[in-house]
Amino acid sequence: MGFIDPSMEPMLETFIYETTTLLDQLDEILLASEKSKSISGDNINEIFRIMHTTKGSAAMMGLESISNLAHAVEDVFFIIREDPSRMQSVSEAIFDLVFQASDYFKAEVESLQGDSYSPADPTGMIAQLEKQAAIMKGEAAAEPAAPAASAAASPAPAKTESAPGMQKIRVFFEDGCQMENIRAFMLITQLKDVCEELESVPDHPENDASVCSEIIKNGLLLSVRPAGTLDEVLKVIEDAVNVKSYETIEEPAPAAEPAGKEESPAPEKAQAAPSAPAPSASSAQPPKVTKQSLISVNQAKLDQLMDLVGELVTAESMVASNPDLKGLTLDNFTKSTRELRKLTDELQDVVMSMRMVPLSGTFQKMNRIVRDMSKKLGKDVELETIGGETEVDKTINDAIADPFMHMIRNSMDHAIEPADVRASLGKPATGKITIAAQNIGGEIVITISDDGSGLDTKKIMQKAKNNGLLTKPEKEYTEKEIAHLIMLPGFSTNDVVTEYSGRGVGMDVVRKNIEKVGGSISVDTQPNVGTTFTIKIPLTLAIVEGMEISVGGNIFTLPITSITQSFKITEPQQIICNTDGTEMIMLRGECYPVIRLHNFFGIDTAVTEMIDGILIQIESDHKTVCIFADELIGEQQVVVKPFPSLLSHYDIKGRGLSGCTILGDGSISLILDANNLIRAYGG
Amino acid sequence: MAEMITNGVQDDLNGKYMTFYIEDTVYGIELFHVMEIIQVVAITPVPNVPDYISGIINLRGKIVPVINVRVKFGQPAKEFDDKTCIIVIEIEGFRVGLIVDGVSEVATISNGQLADPPEHVASGGQQYLQSIANVGGRVILNIDCNRFFQSDLIAAGSFER
Repeated sequence: MGFIDPSMEPMLETFIYETTTLLDQLDEILLASEKSKSISGDNINEIFRIMHTTKGSAAMMGLESISNLAHAVEDVFFIIREDPSRMQSVSEAIFDLVFQASDYFKAEVESLQGDSYSPADPTGMIAQLEKQAAIMKGEAAAEPAAPAASAAASPAPAKTESAPGMQKIRVFFEDGCQMENIRAFMLITQLKDVCEELESVPDHPENDASVCSEIIKNGLLLSVRPAGTLDEVLKVIEDAVNVKSYETIEEPAPAAEPAGKEESPAPEKAQAAPSAPAPSASSAQPPKVTKQSLISVNQAKLDQLMDLVGELVTAESMVASNPDLKGLTLDNFTKSTRELRKLTDELQDVVMSMRMVPLSGTFQKMNRIVRDMSKKLGKDVELETIGGETEVDKTINDAIADPFMHMIRNSMDHAIEPADVRASLGKPATGKITIAAQNIGGEIVITISDDGSGLDTKKIMQKAKNNGLLTKPEKEYTEKEIAHLIMLPGFSTNDVVTEYSGRGVGMDVVRKNIEKVGGSISVDTQPNVGTTFTIKIPLTLAIVEGMEISVGGNIFTLPITSITQSFKITEPQQIICNTDGTEMIMLRGECYPVIRLHNFFGIDTAVTEMIDGILIQIESDHKTVCIFADELIGEQQVVVKPFPSLLSHYDIKGRGLSGCTILGDGSISLILDANNLIRAYGG
Repeated sequence: MAEMITNGVQDDLNGKYMTFYIEDTVYGIELFHVMEIIQVVAITPVPNVPDYISGIINLRGKIVPVINVRVKFGQPAKEFDDKTCIIVIEIEGFRVGLIVDGVSEVATISNGQLADPPEHVASGGQQYLQSIANVGGRVILNIDCNRFFQSDLIAAGSFER
């Protein structure tokens, strides 16, 4: 982070937060505007404001490249703001440019958060923005003049014409700012973008450090022919870093200013136009003051609060079911603990709700990806998002963005056919991808579906066979099972690596990321109808409703959501024994394997007869098994704690455990994870 | 027994060693690693870990893994008795409990009393030794915490990153 001035480092976090928020706003406005093919006055102002703020704060942080680009965008919208009608001719180009700029900002902000930051070069974009600005100003004819502006770097042609229309400006740099020659060069480079011609004395200061003293003494003398107005040029100088003062030196020729504008008749109209709409624009927008009722809180504090509430819930049950109270009649005490229980429940709900964020932000990002890829791939695709208001825990929200992006990219790249193929199949020319989220019983179910070609099960089978991923005879695989093969590690059907997908990370990474937050993913596909991925994720990671079951002296917690039913068997004959020692049970005509938990975890227990214990049917993905435990203890809300990080490299989770929790009596219970348990058992 | 040692300034703790014993051998561990000493509490075993990791305990709401030092040193585990206790130490931000046969005292050992351990030993507890001290006729084997936890720390560290 050496790029940032150490004194500014404390501000960096705020800058990143603010800029990210602004950029998200910008994207939202742009997408809405592009969709409706028009941009309202409010939105123009809003974009202008966003760019202005970004420019200002970036300059404060000393991030010149960001600041310069923001400035260029701001300028473009400054022109649009004066007369929105001018935008029509170039709206598409401008949208693209602003999107590019927004991406650039995001990339910069992203890299700022990394360890080493080195600014990327935005000059190409700035030049293009400048060009659009010129076109809008009616200087479309001046388009060929753009190369001329860059040609101004070679002083020879400039000198011959230096007499008319040149404005002389003398710039002084701050005392003791050092490297005056480089600063002069930087200023000249910036100015080149707003000037048709530019000369400086001394010439090419960057090549010779000895001119520093000259610059300090006499200042940097610039002769410029502005591409736009002189004010723009002066603004660049004002905004430049370390400039102490500047003075314009009046030319004797009064025709200088308008000289550049007489190239076409259009500018006159352009000049006149702004005076009319400008006041109306300002009167049409009474300052909208929305009272700021949101505050941003460091997530670490929220995590801490969540932890504390978890402790409180545990402590409360420690008090309420304290063994010392056994056998006592405590009417008032019971009443009070009930009251306490109610409050802690409420507190827990509030804290949870604070951590909840709507999915719409993530969906918004997907919109952007679809848009960009549509253009790149030449496929017309529409993204429909349903249920963006569904809220999930912040941690989960952050964790699912990448997998979603990957899935959308996959769908765009591989599933949606080109328009002509679609036409021949009788599908609408515009492809469609739908993301829908809904909250079903403590879980968020998100489906991502496309109306593309569907998965090619033959090809998948072949590939899986080639990669040695099959675990049973080929013929035994159902269509659904074949589709799930794509999520195995080391599987990727696309032979050709494209820009967007097929970089070697495939659906297995998607699955891993989703499972990391306790979710699961399944896929349904139909040839030429489309593919649907169904992702189930828990509403929150922190607290689960669990069933406590005992095995020997140990207490396990099984999330209620994975339990289908629990039952006792009456006849030992109900259990079917295999010769290899595994057991199965027949339930309503279906046969399920039985996992004896005491054997599975190697725990000594007195209960080894199936009749004495209890069977619990659990389901995960599309697999069902029954587990055998000593007894059910009861239902309880538990706070999930991860295993200590010292143990994190041992494959505890692979053994069917997702974490641990502290029970009311202070003992630790391990939380079972149906998904991993079934997999560990080899189901 | 529940002697609390606050994590004070390192300088004050330099040259001080918490000594404990396994069978009759006295081992020392630098005091600044030591957070507290607790009696053996209920240990919840976890699957898929090396046998010297006995499981996890609840230390006032924090889940702390515990290591049976006997087993780590290649000796058979034995029943816990009233002398058995857990030394909770902190190393590189990780908190971990060490089950030992018993603690004896905090010994101050000056550099002059320290000797290097024999080289080229790779078995039992000796491979984790930092130095050997002779204090008043008693021999204390000082454990190098970093080496003791090396295998666990490397893996955990790479995961944390």
